[in-house]
Amino acid sequence: MLSTYPGQPAVDHPVSAPIEHRFDPYVDNGGTLLSIAGDEFCVVAADTRQSEGYLINSRYVPKSVKLSDKTVISMGGCYADCLTLTKRIQQSMEWYHHAHGKTMSTAAVAQMLSIMLYQKRFFPFYSWCILGGLDEEGKGAVYTYDPVGSYERESCRCAGSASSLIQPFLDNQISFKNQETQRRNLSLEQVLRITKDSFTSATERDIYTGDYLEIFVITKNGVQVQKMDLKKD
Amino acid sequence: MDTLVGITGKDFVITAFDSKAVASITLMKTGEDKSRELNSHALMLFSGEPGDGVHFSEYIERNIKLYGIRHGIELSPKAVASFARRELADSLRSRKPYAVNLLIAGYDVKTDKPSLYWIDHLASSVDVPFAAHGYGGYYCLSVLDRYHRQDITEEEGIKLMQKCIQEIRSRMIMSMPDFIAKIVNKDGIRLVQL
Amino acid sequence: MAYNGGAVVAMTGKNCVAIACDKRLGVQAMTVSMEFKKTFQIAPKLFIGLPGLATDVQTLAEKFRFKANMYKLKEERELEPRTFAHLVSSTLYERRFSPWYVEPVIAGLDKENRPFIASADLIGCLDFAEDFSVSGTTSNQLFGMCESLWEPDLEPEELFETISQALMNAVDRDCLSGWGAEVIVITPDKVITRTLKSRQD
Repeated sequence: MLSTYPGQPAVDHPVSAPIEHRFDPYVDNGGTLLSIAGDEFCVVAADTRQSEGYLINSRYVPKSVKLSDKTVISMGGCYADCLTLTKRIQQSMEWYHHAHGKTMSTAAVAQMLSIMLYQKRFFPFYSWCILGGLDEEGKGAVYTYDPVGSYERESCRCAGSASSLIQPFLDNQISFKNQETQRRNLSLEQVLRITKDSFTSATERDIYTGDYLEIFVITKNGVQVQKMDLKKD
Repeated sequence: MDTLVGITGKDFVITAFDSKAVASITLMKTGEDKSRELNSHALMLFSGEPGDGVHFSEYIERNIKLYGIRHGIELSPKAVASFARRELADSLRSRKPYAVNLLIAGYDVKTDKPSLYWIDHLASSVDVPFAAHGYGGYYCLSVLDRYHRQDITEEEGIKLMQKCIQEIRSRMIMSMPDFIAKIVNKDGIRLVQL
Repeated sequence: MAYNGGAVVAMTGKNCVAIACDKRLGVQAMTVSMEFKKTFQIAPKLFIGLPGLATDVQTLAEKFRFKANMYKLKEERELEPRTFAHLVSSTLYERRFSPWYVEPVIAGLDKENRPFIASADLIGCLDFAEDFSVSGTTSNQLFGMCESLWEPDLEPEELFETISQALMNAVDRDCLSGWGAEVIVITPDKVITRTLKSRQD
């Protein structure tokens, strides 16, 4: 039998073999974030470790970004997706500013983020988002999202790798679940203490959480950032 | 898949099972008895792999009867359930386990207490106020959650069982033409017309 | 492990230990019983919690009761917690290649009334903890709760409150556990068993 191409051996059977085309565009970079709404403040906190499997890529990669004087976004999951999503939000907020001559409100950013996530319903951003800020009345607001844009306003929420460790603690200490004590509004100091305790505890057991804790405190005076050490092992 | 339901009351247990014998998609007969009387005051209902149920329940029945003959005293429902559970648990880790779900309804003549044991094909056994096996459970457990009380009389028990079966008939896509109901109380086991 | 659901937690205190479990038994999402306890008494001041596959929970509870009784009859003394932990470990490792699907938690006071807690995985790898041991489908939530609520040298009543709050808030974030709970506090002179009401969803 003659070969079709010069230099190629002649065979009497088809030579096409299936080639596997696989594309895995997602990676889990770990990390934990939480947000708690107060009466006239909002706390957004996240650890700064970025990891891939058992490797720590960096000990300081912030997960939270200040979007305006009243709004902070925090994201965990696939860091590449989080970066892109943050950029998109910031760009849309800038266009909004140019078009309307004012900064987007927290509620507007919240609605917009839901739409942005749902726009990629069939190739989602692998991101756990929590939006914290002050609403139009100056009250603390927390909006939480799933990767495809379902969202809800809540009083407190934890997301990311240690969410299952921290969320029941927040239910207990912030929402007073399973407690007989009358539900009361917590002060900023109390909320900060609970936030720090949550992360020191989670760092003990979750290998993807640690290094530093970055806390954004949103009040009517703007956004203050504080940093705290977490265990680095 | 077959449905078994059991409800305890003040001084009795009422049980019911659909009487269909099915092979693949074909209904072979109705009027199939999916229960065995283990002794005078213990009734076992079974469902699951056809054949396994009959084989296993008759094996248990004969051993329980043998115990009664040998010792001149009947095992309590709790003892019956423990024995059946253990036999099923041992079979679970054998080469060919029995694939049967059981309900054991009994009346303890010494303590004058009715009891119902729910045992699944993995041999998890629990003493429950009411229970069901099969798809019927998805429909009647909520009815029982709403209407069951520990102190119901036999008439109320029959009414409640009718309510459950009515729910199954109206909501389940499979046709459930007839159920057979049996009551266990201090006088023994008897068939009841629903 | 997640077929029937369940949670067990044990904690040490000052001269006391506590062990607690939820009471649900389900078949995946369907709850069958709300009275299925997962803790079993082995000796006057020794308990074991067995979350996992319900059939194996029952089989092992019987097995351990048998072995503990035989130990007491042969040795004519009480079974020590540490000894029992090793008995549990070897019983599980015996089935290395077709395991019992349970992850036991052991809690007790030894003969000097020192607190002892330990946990094991399904093939008997022991983990002796100084503070708390958690197990079951709610283990993540329990780790988070215990890590933030527990502190050293709790008195029996404080220990009861701590373990109860840890368990209740943890199981409320797990759809396979809850529906009531049982808490056992072991002190040198008595064993206090309490049943807790909790959310029914």
